[in-house]
Amino acid sequence: MPLSLSDSTWYPIASAEDLPLRHVYQGQLLGRELAVWRADDGNVNVWENRCLHRGVRLSIGINEGGELKCQYHGWRYANRSAGCTYIPAHPADAPSRRIENKTYPVREAYGLIWSAANSDLPFAPFPGAESGDWFALRPMPVNAEPADVLTALAGLAPDDQPADVLPGMGLRLGEVTYFVQPVDANRSVIRGLLAKRPENEAAALRAHNETLTRLRDRLERAAARKPAPAALQPTFDKVSVELSTMPDIVIPRGNTMPVVVKRKWQTADGVVGFELAARDGHLPTFQPGAHIDVHLPNGLIRQYSITNGPGELMSYVIGVKQESASKGGSKVLVDTVREGDVLAISEPRNNFPLRRDATRTVLIAGGIGITPLLSMARFLDKSALPYELHYFTRAGEQVAFRDELGALHGKVFIHTGVPRSEIATSIATTLGDWSRAQHVYVCGPSAMLETVRVTAAAQGWPDEAIHFEYFKNDKVIDDSTAFDIELARSAMTLHVPSGKTILEVMRDAGLTVPSSCEQGACGTCLTGVMEGEVDHQDVYLNDSEKQSNTCMMTCVSRAKSARLVLDI
Amino acid sequence: MGSASTQMTITLYDFELSGNCYKLRLLMSILKLRYDIIPVDFYPGRQHKADWFLRLNPFGQLPVIKDDELVLSDSGAILAYLAKKYDETGLWFPDDPAITAEVLRWHAIADDITATSSSARLVLGMFYEFDLEKAQQGAHRIFRLMDEHLWFGEREGRDWLCSPDHPTTADIACFPYVMLSEEGGISRQDYPALRRWTDRVRRIPGFVVMSGIFPAGRAAS
Repeated sequence: MPLSLSDSTWYPIASAEDLPLRHVYQGQLLGRELAVWRADDGNVNVWENRCLHRGVRLSIGINEGGELKCQYHGWRYANRSAGCTYIPAHPADAPSRRIENKTYPVREAYGLIWSAANSDLPFAPFPGAESGDWFALRPMPVNAEPADVLTALAGLAPDDQPADVLPGMGLRLGEVTYFVQPVDANRSVIRGLLAKRPENEAAALRAHNETLTRLRDRLERAAARKPAPAALQPTFDKVSVELSTMPDIVIPRGNTMPVVVKRKWQTADGVVGFELAARDGHLPTFQPGAHIDVHLPNGLIRQYSITNGPGELMSYVIGVKQESASKGGSKVLVDTVREGDVLAISEPRNNFPLRRDATRTVLIAGGIGITPLLSMARFLDKSALPYELHYFTRAGEQVAFRDELGALHGKVFIHTGVPRSEIATSIATTLGDWSRAQHVYVCGPSAMLETVRVTAAAQGWPDEAIHFEYFKNDKVIDDSTAFDIELARSAMTLHVPSGKTILEVMRDAGLTVPSSCEQGACGTCLTGVMEGEVDHQDVYLNDSEKQSNTCMMTCVSRAKSARLVLDI
Repeated sequence: MGSASTQMTITLYDFELSGNCYKLRLLMSILKLRYDIIPVDFYPGRQHKADWFLRLNPFGQLPVIKDDELVLSDSGAILAYLAKKYDETGLWFPDDPAITAEVLRWHAIADDITATSSSARLVLGMFYEFDLEKAQQGAHRIFRLMDEHLWFGEREGRDWLCSPDHPTTADIACFPYVMLSEEGGISRQDYPALRRWTDRVRRIPGFVVMSGIFPAGRAAS
């Protein structure tokens, strides 16, 4: 029977021990080449063996433990989702989370790695699978048709004890269970399993290897005498233009998804950790610095940074500050949400992307600001890139995520109880003078962000080397002006009176415009400006971006000119 | 015994794309030896058949090395020379007679890999008129045996081609044209243990790359 590209059967494609950590195995099933790799968390990934960028084999790439890095232009893809997490040619941008490599279903069981050409069939153990303590023989590749290999294996059985046929090109022959992996029309791998570990392992493995070698040589001599069937011709799905182009700096709000509060714990005095797990499978790809919107039981939406390291997609861990003064946001999470509750979250978005091409990366966290920087440190750590993490808290008890910080290999400095007057000096010493390809990332209270910005600027750090994310906008918004907005794409001119925001006016006119924090901190309502002078009142854009006068946050910022033309 | 600090002047007659020259660059990098390079345009210039080069090596083959006044050719012989002369640890070319024999056996296999895998690469990359199919089949035959040897080695706690628990010049000699086999149209997909061994070689401290040979990234910590 000829092989079919759409055969949904699960076949073994590797031995479990073929996949040591930090290795990429090259496999093939039904004509499709596979890059197979085990992440540091043990998860096995089976991906199409080509980088979405230039088609280079990912099997020659680098397994970094949580991400696979293509050898050609360094695109990185996350464990589990195969989502692209970093594009070196765009070091300052967050790649579209929608760029995802093709994955195949995978199951590790009975000493073997199993996969299938598609997900049409659920994985089903072969008969008797659950009763064995399986021990894999050395796999034997054979240049012959899979059906012929199966027939030849059956021929090894003595006449009075014929082989039991198992589903999925399997056979049981005395103590050995064999599977034929259909690599291609004229290529196979024989994968044998013993139901228990033999007493003399080495001798048993050698003996079976000899038997299979003789069988292989016989099969290949026979195969050479007849015309070889044509190799299978799998097609490769093209990546759509939409998915392959760089996204705008902000992806409009998508649908929410439910997550279960798997764990809630006091990670430090005043900080509660929440582990939010997917209800089924894994969560979407995120990049270091990314945050999610959490929809709270009282209807509020709040942003929290993901603290996870690369390829950790089974759950997101966030840190929430316990604030007595907090009005309904964090307080609701801390007081009323319990383990087992279901919350709605947005897909991750990243307004705080991490460059991975710096010669020196300085991460400065104040208090709860540790959350995005912990994620950044973990990514840099896995890729063995140099970094320094400085974490300022008022007291030692307030140091959150101590275990996670302790697991890092880089330079981690915890500064507790530094008097406010000395923080600037401490930061100045930490930063030093700027030189090329040095970057600083800071997250914490507004005063601290200002200190880092001012100190860094005074020591020669340019704007593009200072990266920050504000939690909230402490500025008093001046909404006294009145002006017109011309919406270029919507062909509409609207008047914004004093006391109303641009966002409100647009919504009143029936437009659907994404927004989230509505205080000029989160970046969701970022809009392109084509004409007119903007009166920036947000804390999201940096000074260079504000001076460029090409974009604005419509939730708080206004116009200095009588008219603004917006790209909306 | 010399040492890196007192070494004489080594000159390598080198072609950048030659796996056999790379073997020496690799070992000299691992041993932290300083050396000068005199480029020899093997392709397309065929300078290895030029009179001046034939005076250095009448067989007209790269690489050639000059250590002060001593002129040596043949990559395997030079690997042994460099290790015996400059490797103070004695690990790269061990003195034990049985292990020396083991290493030399793999040096011979390395020459077979050159005759097959490298020949296929010369056909496809530099337009030599060898029998491509025969070269490819020959390489597959060797790779099969290497994969089997290395697979059982992993079971027995042996990571390298020879029995010591550290790499030797045997690994250096066999590595380049295994790693460059795809340029000769020879896939290593059927040799998972051989592929894992190439990861280990690429993680030897001091490892350097050449065109077509990529780094393996860090081992798990």
